[in-house]
Amino acid sequence: MTDGDLDATDPRTLPGFFDSLADGELLGGVCADCGQVLLPPRPACYACGSRAVDIEPQSPEGQVFSYTEVHTPPPAFAADAPYTVAVVELADGGRLLGRVAADYADVAIGDSVELTVREPTAAEREAALDYETDWPVHVFEPR
Amino acid sequence: MPEPVIASVGASPLGRTDLPGRDLFSVALAEAFDELPDPATLVEAVYVGNQSESYEHQIMYGTLLAEWAGLRHVPAERVEGCAAAGALALRHAVKDVRNGEHEAVLACGVEKMTSAGTSGATDALSAAFDRPIEQRSGVTAPSQYALLAQRYLHETDATERDLAEIAVKNHANAARNPRAQFPKEIDVAKVMESDLIAPPLKLFDCAPVGDGAAAVLVTTAELAADLDRPQVHVAGSGASANNIAVAERNMTDIAGGRIAAETAYEEAGINAEDIDIAEVHDAFTVCEALLAEAAGFAPKGTGYQSYQAPAERADGWTDVQLSPSGGLKARGHPIGATGLLQALEAYEQLTGAAGDRAVEGTKTALLLNEGGVADAVTVGHVLTTAEAR
Repeated sequence: MTDGDLDATDPRTLPGFFDSLADGELLGGVCADCGQVLLPPRPACYACGSRAVDIEPQSPEGQVFSYTEVHTPPPAFAADAPYTVAVVELADGGRLLGRVAADYADVAIGDSVELTVREPTAAEREAALDYETDWPVHVFEPR
Repeated sequence: MPEPVIASVGASPLGRTDLPGRDLFSVALAEAFDELPDPATLVEAVYVGNQSESYEHQIMYGTLLAEWAGLRHVPAERVEGCAAAGALALRHAVKDVRNGEHEAVLACGVEKMTSAGTSGATDALSAAFDRPIEQRSGVTAPSQYALLAQRYLHETDATERDLAEIAVKNHANAARNPRAQFPKEIDVAKVMESDLIAPPLKLFDCAPVGDGAAAVLVTTAELAADLDRPQVHVAGSGASANNIAVAERNMTDIAGGRIAAETAYEEAGINAEDIDIAEVHDAFTVCEALLAEAAGFAPKGTGYQSYQAPAERADGWTDVQLSPSGGLKARGHPIGATGLLQALEAYEQLTGAAGDRAVEGTKTALLLNEGGVADAVTVGHVLTTAEAR
């Protein structure tokens, strides 16, 4: 193993991943041995165990794989409810959960969406751990 | 290798109670040891299944509950795996007995979920999701499972009404279970008209928040015989962790459930067809459908027929009866205790102590206990009567 020098600039760490995301770039890990996409990137591939993980930009475009609407939110998000969340299958093969900027009734499985990034709101900063405070928030916009 | 058996079980009342966690444990322990010498004369180690320190601002449940049982200077620890913590505690006890380290181990579980209301429980449970993506998106336990349910309804012939029927069936079972949090029958309309929590899931698709504790004494077969206790053999045990994030898993093929069940079957030397009853992790109705398939009871896409009589189900279904206790939905789901409540139900079914809800001819039971969302971690156990062993 050769990851002893991992630091917060490396996209295989959360700070590194979110730094890139804040600049509008969604980075994924891509297993050099089996091709599995890892979102966010991490040091090892869960599909085959390989530690040969390349970092590659991922398309922000995808399709809704499943979705629902949160009526009973965690306390930190009470003011936002109800809101739509989805698992989205991205064009390069990875899957990511996130909010959808659309009413539940206007979403269906298979709908095209695009990942966008925004700065956290004041309420989100309030709910964040110290090290998460400046991490951006991703939202899927219908296309 | 010593053969691990369950020699006794006990539980506290389930639901909204006026007792803190340690006191719930004392009630469960008292039932388990009602016909036994005091714990201090028997128990050599303690494992405690417990989800969250946020309910009582308390960790160190191993030390605490060992002390409350009158034990000191024994190995004792809390086991954490969200709602699978109880079965993980059981699995540790089983392994300690099987490998000869101890002759008697107490597996127990406790959760005081009502201490901070529904929002407190919602917040505590959300800690089971991956923090940077899932938690920060504001998902909840019901909405995570709703993502599975939405996909399951999309891929199969199942309808929201079928999921409602699973809740109806489990309430009917609970109506015959004096331990149940909700021992009352409901109808499909009650489920379908209940509050929308996360579509397609409604309030009555969801297991309740509640307090509870359970205690299960695992011993060698010889010790249980010396103690003149009805014994149930733990013939197989399996566990499997999967990805923490739901998005990265197969959302309608619960691989962790399949592996945990198959590992337990293999250790027991049996197949899915040999299972008479199964207590599966129906935290939400869709889970029972998915786990019926994962456990090998139902062909893919037909697990939602679990509420039907065996003769009415699709070809390829086994004759298994699911969740005779009423399941998590109606028996109750005090998170860290749930896996042990499943074992308690199987113990009573296999020792002729299940009263009105006894499933005739039951010799072999499967327990499937999950933690996190679906199969983030799954623990499976096969329990059998001494004769079947």
